[in-house]
This record gives sequence, C-alpha cells and structure tokens, in this order.
Amino acid sequence: MDKCTVQVNNASFCYGSKKVFNNISFKIKKGEVFCVLGPNGCGKTTLLDCVLGILKLSEGNVLIGDTDLRDLRENKLAEKMAYVPQTHERSFPYKVKEIVLMGRAHKTSIFTSPSEEDKKIAMDALEKVGISELADVPYTQISGGQCQLVMIARALAQQPEIIVMDEPTSHLDFKNELVVLETVADLVKKHNISILMATHFPNHAYYFETNHVPTTLVLMNNGIFEETGRPYGVLNEQNILNTYNINSKVLNFRLDESTSIRQVVPISLIKEKNQGGRK
Amino acid sequence: MKKSKFTYILIFMSPFVLIFLTLFNGRYPIPLKDIPRILAYPFSRSTLINDTYSTIIWNIRMPRAMLSALAGASLAVSGAAFQGLFHNPLVNSGMLGVSSGSGFGAALAILLFARSSPFVYIFALIFGGIAVFLSYTIGRIYNTTPTIMLVLGGTVVSSIFSALISLVKYMADPLNELPAITFWLMGSFASANAQDILIGAPPMILGIAGLILMRWRINVLSMGDREAHTLGISSSLNKLAAIIFATLSTAGAVCVSGNIGWVGLIIPHVGRMIVGNDNNSLIPVSCALGASFLIIIDNISRTLTGGEIPIGILTSLVGGPFFIYLLKKTKGGSW
Repeated sequence: MDKCTVQVNNASFCYGSKKVFNNISFKIKKGEVFCVLGPNGCGKTTLLDCVLGILKLSEGNVLIGDTDLRDLRENKLAEKMAYVPQTHERSFPYKVKEIVLMGRAHKTSIFTSPSEEDKKIAMDALEKVGISELADVPYTQISGGQCQLVMIARALAQQPEIIVMDEPTSHLDFKNELVVLETVADLVKKHNISILMATHFPNHAYYFETNHVPTTLVLMNNGIFEETGRPYGVLNEQNILNTYNINSKVLNFRLDESTSIRQVVPISLIKEKNQGGRK
Repeated sequence: MKKSKFTYILIFMSPFVLIFLTLFNGRYPIPLKDIPRILAYPFSRSTLINDTYSTIIWNIRMPRAMLSALAGASLAVSGAAFQGLFHNPLVNSGMLGVSSGSGFGAALAILLFARSSPFVYIFALIFGGIAVFLSYTIGRIYNTTPTIMLVLGGTVVSSIFSALISLVKYMADPLNELPAITFWLMGSFASANAQDILIGAPPMILGIAGLILMRWRINVLSMGDREAHTLGISSSLNKLAAIIFATLSTAGAVCVSGNIGWVGLIIPHVGRMIVGNDNNSLIPVSCALGASFLIIIDNISRTLTGGEIPIGILTSLVGGPFFIYLLKKTKGGSW
C-alpha cells in the first residue's frame, strides 16, 4: 500500500474575514509529484505556507506522516519536510557550500555548529544536484537558475521525505527551467522523495507524467480544488476554460517510437459576456 | 579561498599582544628593566620595586586596556550579529536603540546625581535594556518579529531617546553637568578603573560568549524568518536570544565607555573582507579585530595630544578613512 507523507484534512484558511480556501483535503503519496495549478491569487502559496507551518489553518489539520503538524517542533518538522522558496533574497555573499550546510540546521542546537558528518551530507547534496563545482563560489555571483539548484541542494541536505516548492521556475530562463524540472524528476525517481509544488505552468505537470514520474495535478480556483487527478486526465481544454477562462488547445507530439509529449497552448481570451463571470 | 592558519593566529593573538604593548605606552615612561618585576607585582608582593610604576600599570593602564579591548569586541560582535539578524550589512550594534537608551540613562544619572556616581553605569545599563525591550515590543506582532518591524521599532525608539538626551542636556547646568554629559556621550576610557571592569565586564563577557556560541545560528537567521523556520529553527526564539546577548554586550560597553560609534559597523566588514561571510568564523574574528582596533584607537586618543581626545571622535576620524582604504583596496571584495 502507498504510504502517505502528507495528509491535509478539511483545511480552511481565512485572513481576517476573507476566506482564502475552504475545506480542502488531499494526500500526497511517497515518491510522487503533487502539482497545484491555479490562477494568481487563488491561494496556492497560502496553502503551501499552511502545510509548511508558517501559517496556521483556521480549520482542519495537516498530518506529516502520522503526526499532527501542530505537535511538531520546527526541528522535527524540518527532518521530514524541506522548502524551496519562490525567490530567495541574497543578502550576504555566502559560499554555496555554506548555504547548503544550512540544511543541517535542524540537527544542531542553539549553541552548536554542524559536524563534519553534516558537512559531508551537504557536499553529497551538492553532488546529487550536480553543482559540486560551485561549492566555493559566493552564491551572489551565480545565476538565478544555479541559485535555485542551490536551494534544492539545501532542501536535500535536510534529508526530508517531502520538498515543498513554490513556483520553483518562475524567474528562470528557458534552459534553467528545464534544468530544475529534470532535477526534480530525478529526485523523485532516484530518491523516492515526494514533491508538493505550486506552479503556473500546466506543461510542467505534463512534463512529469511524460517522464514517468507519478504525478497528481489539482486545479485550484475560488479557494477549492476544482479538479484532481492525473495531468493527462485533468488538463483538458474544458477544465482550462473553467479555471482560467481562456480558450486553449492541447497538442500531442510524437517524439519517437516510445515517447510522445503533450503541451497545452493558450489560444485566446474569452470575450466578456453580459452576465459578467469572473474576470 | 581558504585563509591560512597563520592569518587566524595573527588575528586572535593581536589583542593580547596589543594589551601588553599598551601597558608601556604613555606619558609616564616605564624603564624596560623594571617590566618583569612590575608584571610580577600582583603575584609576588615584592617591596623592591618602585610603587608608582606598578600603580600606573596595574591600576590605570591595565583596566583601561582591558576595558577598551572588551568594549571593542562587544561592539564588533554585536554589530556582526545584528547585520546577520537583520540580513542587512548596513546596521550596527545600536540598531535597536541600545546606544541612545544608554546615553539617555547616563545623561539622566549625571543630571540627578553626579558624573562619578555609580548610578551612571546602572542607569546606562537599565535604559539600554529598556530601549531594546521597547523596540522589540513594537516590532512584535502575532508572536513573530518581522525584521522590518524591528528596524522601524528601533528607529523610532532611537529617535525618542535622542530627543530625551537633548531634553536632559537642555535642562542641565551649563557649567558642570552639560560638559559632563557631552563628554560622556563622546565616549572615553579616561576614567577607566577596577570598578568599571567590575560593572561592565560581566554583561560584555556574557554577551560576547553567547553570540560566539550561537554564531552559526546567525547564518541561518540571516536567511529570513520563512526559511529559518523551514530549515528547522524557531526564528523568534533564536532572534530573541541573539538580541538579548547583543544588548548585554553593547549596553555593557556603552555604560563604561560612553557612545562609541562606527566600530559595530566597520569591524564586521573588515572581518568579511578577511574571512568571508560565514558567521562561524566571522564572529570570532570580529571579536578579535574589534578588540585590537579599540585598543589602538584608545592609545592614540590618550597619547596623540596633551589632553585626551574623546575616543568616539577618533573611531570615526581614523576608522572612516581606514575603511575607505580597505574598500578601495579590495575593490569591494565580493560585494
């Protein structure tokens, strides 16, 4: 039976009186990518923050393994779950290896520094992401894409069961986007890590499924999960129309005998009718 | 690039060497041949040596050297810690209002009692603590302490206490109290004695030790609250601990020496140029560099002219150009 790493039950969150999302439940299995797709402001980041314990749910609960999130102290939580931020503000020119070593913070106490063992784990994490050669470079001097890999390496150094990523490719160029996706797919396949990922790109979900990574996709809109399932099933023209209110086309392309890829291409906006649906 | 062991040894030895040298620097010449006997004086109780020498060394120059070393170390370490904590390289140890709070406390005590009163230290310590507590309380919302709120809190509290200092000065007697307050605020080790060490050293040593022990945590805190949380540390608790240690050491330094600006800002940067940004090495190195820097400046302040130049003036006069020189030489380093 598939083991669940994260289970969210009847979760709701309000900012003051404004409901951000309402009664959401889902499970993330071990070794799968769980993609949350939805328009700007639909509550994706808030949902991730609640799973990370940065924000507290108004109702419902989050289980990490078998334990309620509220019963986990920061260091215990960080053993199970790591985070790759959408943007990372680089204030001091730390060396890459120093940044990755911070992934071991949950193993230190307030008055201790990481051990040699921790340093080895950090170097291994750099190796896994394939940027060992950057170890001694100040991380203010590397590209945005490399920085995102450093963040992923830092998350790996935590040796977590699940990594939460908030739009990990949002500032990356065409190639670096692919570098990050490939790295993520690799992690899931080789190390059986689960990924909870918020994204703006439907094609990312297709990418994972095309590359035989177990993938669940949810379409989040108006504070609920409107659709849940495999990307090939959920991402159709009708659902895109419902969620984003645009006309789109799903295209299939055969690469070779064994693989075909699928992409969704936006075509046009829906002209506003008089009944005035959401913009 | 890995700095050699030699660099580290040099940095960490320098305060001790400088303290030793400073004992023999001053207006009253000490014959070289008497040095071993003078140094042995407190341990041997020998009656053979000239008592004046021993008094100068042990009661005047030694406390002064120790205090300036401790104060320099305190200001530099808490400056480095605050720069990490606020993930901003432009803040210094007075960020949360400790300097202006202490300054107000001392000015008030001088007004109410006298320059020589022990209340000057006590008020300086207490009001330094009160200022930081106020900044922290202002910055605290929903059990978290967002950096921007802390910075704003610190700025507001600093300006309130600066205004209160002006108020005290305005009310002070212009013949005796006002000069005393003004000179106190400029900073000086001129009156350093054993009592200063007794009062100032414990908070400074406690604060420095605390920050050195939690130095690696400051790396993690410099990632910001969100990331610190997901990396597995409680950012509010750790921040509070760092703020308490930094306040102890800064308030300890200010209460014995008055306001000495600049050390908490530039010394950490000098440290960054030498050993990089990892607080694991930066904080101990800042400690040693701050101590050495203030010993040297204090020596200049007491020997350059017949009178004393307040050290707060010299730190900026000497420190500013020195810092520009370093910036130009390293071309901004890795910034």
